[in-house]
Amino acid sequence: MFDRRLLTYFDWGFACTILGMGCLGVLSIYSANALTTSPFRQTLHLRQLTWLAAGLVVLFLACTGSYRNLSRFAYVIFGASMLMLLVVLVLGKTGLGAQRWIRIGGIAFQPSEFMKLSLVLFLARYFDDHRETLHQPKTMLLPAGLTLLTALLVLKQPDLGTALLLVFISLSMMLLLGLHWRYLLPLAIGGGVLTPLMWTLLKDYQRRRILVFLNPELDPLGASYHIAQSKIAVGSGGAFGKGWLAASQSQLNFLPMNHTDFLFAVLAEQWGFVGSLLVLLVYVYLITRGFQIAMESADFFASLLATGISAMLAIQVFINVAMVLGLLPVVGIPLPLLSYGGSSLLTTMLSLGLLLNIHMRRFMY
Amino acid sequence: MVCVGIGCLILLLRLWYLQILEGDRYLTLSTNNRLRLRVVEAPRGFILDRNGEAMVENRPTFDLYATPEDVTNPAEVTGVLADILQIPASEIEARLAEGRTRPYQPLLLRKDLDEAMMVAVEERRIDLPGINLRIRPVRAYPSGGTAANLLGYVSEVNQSQLQREEYRNFRPGENLGQSGVERRYDAFIRGVDGGEQIEVDARGRTLRLVNRDEPQSGSNVFLTIDRKIQEAAEAAFIGKKGTVVAMNPTTGEILAMVSRPSFDPNLFAQRLSGEEWRRIATDTSHPLQNRAFQAQYPPGSIFKLIVAIAGLESGALTPETRFNCSGQFYLGNVKFDDWKKGGHGTLDLRRAIVNSCNVYFYQAGLRVGIDEIVRVSRAFGLGEPPGLGLGDEAKGNLPNPQPKRRGQPNWTAGNTVIASIGQGMVVTSPMQILAMVSAIANGGTIYRPFVVKKIVSLSGDVLEVYEPEAMRQVNVNPETLAFMRQAMLGVVNEGTGQRSKVPGLPIGGKTGTAQVVKKGEEKRSADVKDHAWFASFAPVDNPQLAVVVLVENGGFGGAVAAPVAKAVYEAAFKDRLPGARQAIVESKEVEDEEED
Repeated sequence: MFDRRLLTYFDWGFACTILGMGCLGVLSIYSANALTTSPFRQTLHLRQLTWLAAGLVVLFLACTGSYRNLSRFAYVIFGASMLMLLVVLVLGKTGLGAQRWIRIGGIAFQPSEFMKLSLVLFLARYFDDHRETLHQPKTMLLPAGLTLLTALLVLKQPDLGTALLLVFISLSMMLLLGLHWRYLLPLAIGGGVLTPLMWTLLKDYQRRRILVFLNPELDPLGASYHIAQSKIAVGSGGAFGKGWLAASQSQLNFLPMNHTDFLFAVLAEQWGFVGSLLVLLVYVYLITRGFQIAMESADFFASLLATGISAMLAIQVFINVAMVLGLLPVVGIPLPLLSYGGSSLLTTMLSLGLLLNIHMRRFMY
Repeated sequence: MVCVGIGCLILLLRLWYLQILEGDRYLTLSTNNRLRLRVVEAPRGFILDRNGEAMVENRPTFDLYATPEDVTNPAEVTGVLADILQIPASEIEARLAEGRTRPYQPLLLRKDLDEAMMVAVEERRIDLPGINLRIRPVRAYPSGGTAANLLGYVSEVNQSQLQREEYRNFRPGENLGQSGVERRYDAFIRGVDGGEQIEVDARGRTLRLVNRDEPQSGSNVFLTIDRKIQEAAEAAFIGKKGTVVAMNPTTGEILAMVSRPSFDPNLFAQRLSGEEWRRIATDTSHPLQNRAFQAQYPPGSIFKLIVAIAGLESGALTPETRFNCSGQFYLGNVKFDDWKKGGHGTLDLRRAIVNSCNVYFYQAGLRVGIDEIVRVSRAFGLGEPPGLGLGDEAKGNLPNPQPKRRGQPNWTAGNTVIASIGQGMVVTSPMQILAMVSAIANGGTIYRPFVVKKIVSLSGDVLEVYEPEAMRQVNVNPETLAFMRQAMLGVVNEGTGQRSKVPGLPIGGKTGTAQVVKKGEEKRSADVKDHAWFASFAPVDNPQLAVVVLVENGGFGGAVAAPVAKAVYEAAFKDRLPGARQAIVESKEVEDEEED
């Protein structure tokens, strides 16, 4: 039975902010491609609008049943996500030289995006199950191992950004559990050992990107070109920006991938420092609200889930914006809610829907 | 929470720095000065002969580019350019319109400007905003058009190639080896393109080079070809159609490969109009075909070598076996002629080979039997591709005495008679004949023919070394082959191949004159001459060079093909006569030193 009390607990402000950001994304995608003559790119904002509508449905669907039902299926969902990653590796559709998509009924779908949420779900359930033994290091072995495994699968696609993201999400959840530094030390050492190993697993272009980040003179055409153009776009926005549709740098073909990973550069050029500040503050609002929901939640699982989702959001925003601003290497991570891409938008909407769900049921046991 | 705060602060500080502190600088960069990207084409590696003499190298050319965004006055620019390039203005307009979708991407208007055009463009610079000249290396052929079919040509990757998976890394307009060595070894020859990040002003003129990624030149390919021998063979073949192939019979190294009619590789290096391309591609004389291994012909009397070996090996013939030749041979009441009216009289096997007596081999073939002839043919590599690896290879055809399909006529004794002199169902490529003759010369080893010795990177690293590969040993008596070599020596010294004779150099050879019978046309028409063959090796007692010549519609092998082979031997052994023995052994020692 649907409880009418739930409606009163629904966070309309949070939901409206999400919708507003989605609309800002559509507008920015439109303006990013306003000058293109490619018929495909001219329709991207309409596609994104469709995704946004679908995302809203997902958002509300995610609020309906209790999140506790989700807890029951957490392992199954995680297993299924793993399977999809394997499927992608075997028969994935190649886009931009990487195998990230699978096609279901004409819709290309990126399982690695969904994997982020699945991992959070899995960790939440796992830590909930093992809450008596959380202080024991061996409890962390399985989640750490599985995280690395999924990260490797994603890295093999190859999608360095998402692979790193998965590791960061997992680490931040462990940190927020109050894990003692004594346990983190072996992890850090393990990471130190694994890094060179990972380096050998990286594709040439990924290595180039990292090297270029460390030394921008290295490759003027590839990755450093992105960084340079992105910085020019952002910087030329100045304090108040050039205005909507007037962002020459990011609209013209100077900035590649301007509607996906580099969308923040479009925003920053159009709306300047003031606009960028506002967008970042909105993200801060969404993220802190997420952590607040985690603290107020009714049970440990919900708290873990909300923490994970908020951390996921925070890390994505930080890495993406830092990359656009030339603070981090170019790794393919979309900006949640704003960047073009159905899988990313739907996953984000689903995650935020779960936050709303947890919030609605915070007094219900 | 603290983390979120710190993260946000980092991003805000960075934004402050980029947009407020450095905002003006970036604004200038984005409006006045613009960064452009352009590809710097890597020079292709050279193709050199075995002694390091260049056969294909590069020369600089100037191409005309337009950057549509910077062409501020399209009407005037098209007018001026149409004037300079002598092409209709509409053509330039159409090209510029194509580029509208990528206005910052320089667009190739015209390749390889000649001197006068370059000067004109430079003079009218002021009227031509957005128009640039760019230097680019193109293929040059210092030895003229020699070995064009072997070397191959380079041209832009075409539309149908771009749609294929194996070409997915190519950009439109990128150059690619399209045939021969250029194609087979393209991955080594092509190098890695570089790029430039340049700052241009509002009129599209280069202000400064921001960054440059140097292109990496392609690797140099060293052929087994000897340019000196190649050029001699080309010179001896002027005005003829067909092929000359020379090989070291003890290694399989190809020393010369001529194919005619050929094409001018310079045409591809420069701009090739659609019309010119169509003319070459649809030419009924097939100038793009490498006749050495892509064409096949009836072997004619060359095939008598196989019949003789088959007879000696099976015991059906001995060197003493005699048949009488009266100038004709009757099988039942069907008459088969000899080429010599009046006949050769009674001959033994050696004299039959020396004089290329047809009537002797009609009878010998019947005695040996078609099955044994086909078996030995296969053993010597006929009927299968020689394995050169340079694209399609003709595999020839051998008779099949047991027809598998119903309705096919049964094999008759008459068919065997025809096959015994290399006509009828027997078809071979010149390369197959070369491998066969080499095996006779070297004691029965079939080597894989190869044209590339090694590939060396620009920095001098040896990337690949190709060694001789003995594909198999023919199971044949050494005495049989020794007899054959002596008989072939007789062909040159006293028989049909005398016009290949080089003083001081013992050459073994066999002439062939293959009748041109087109399908459905029983009698050959008078105006179509026979194909002239000459297959040979030298020196007979220590073979170092094998040469096969085929002249399409040339006439008699001994008269037309043998003199070409003679010219090749003279060039190859010029400095070493009469002491021809050291010839190739010497150059081998030199190589060994190089590798140390």
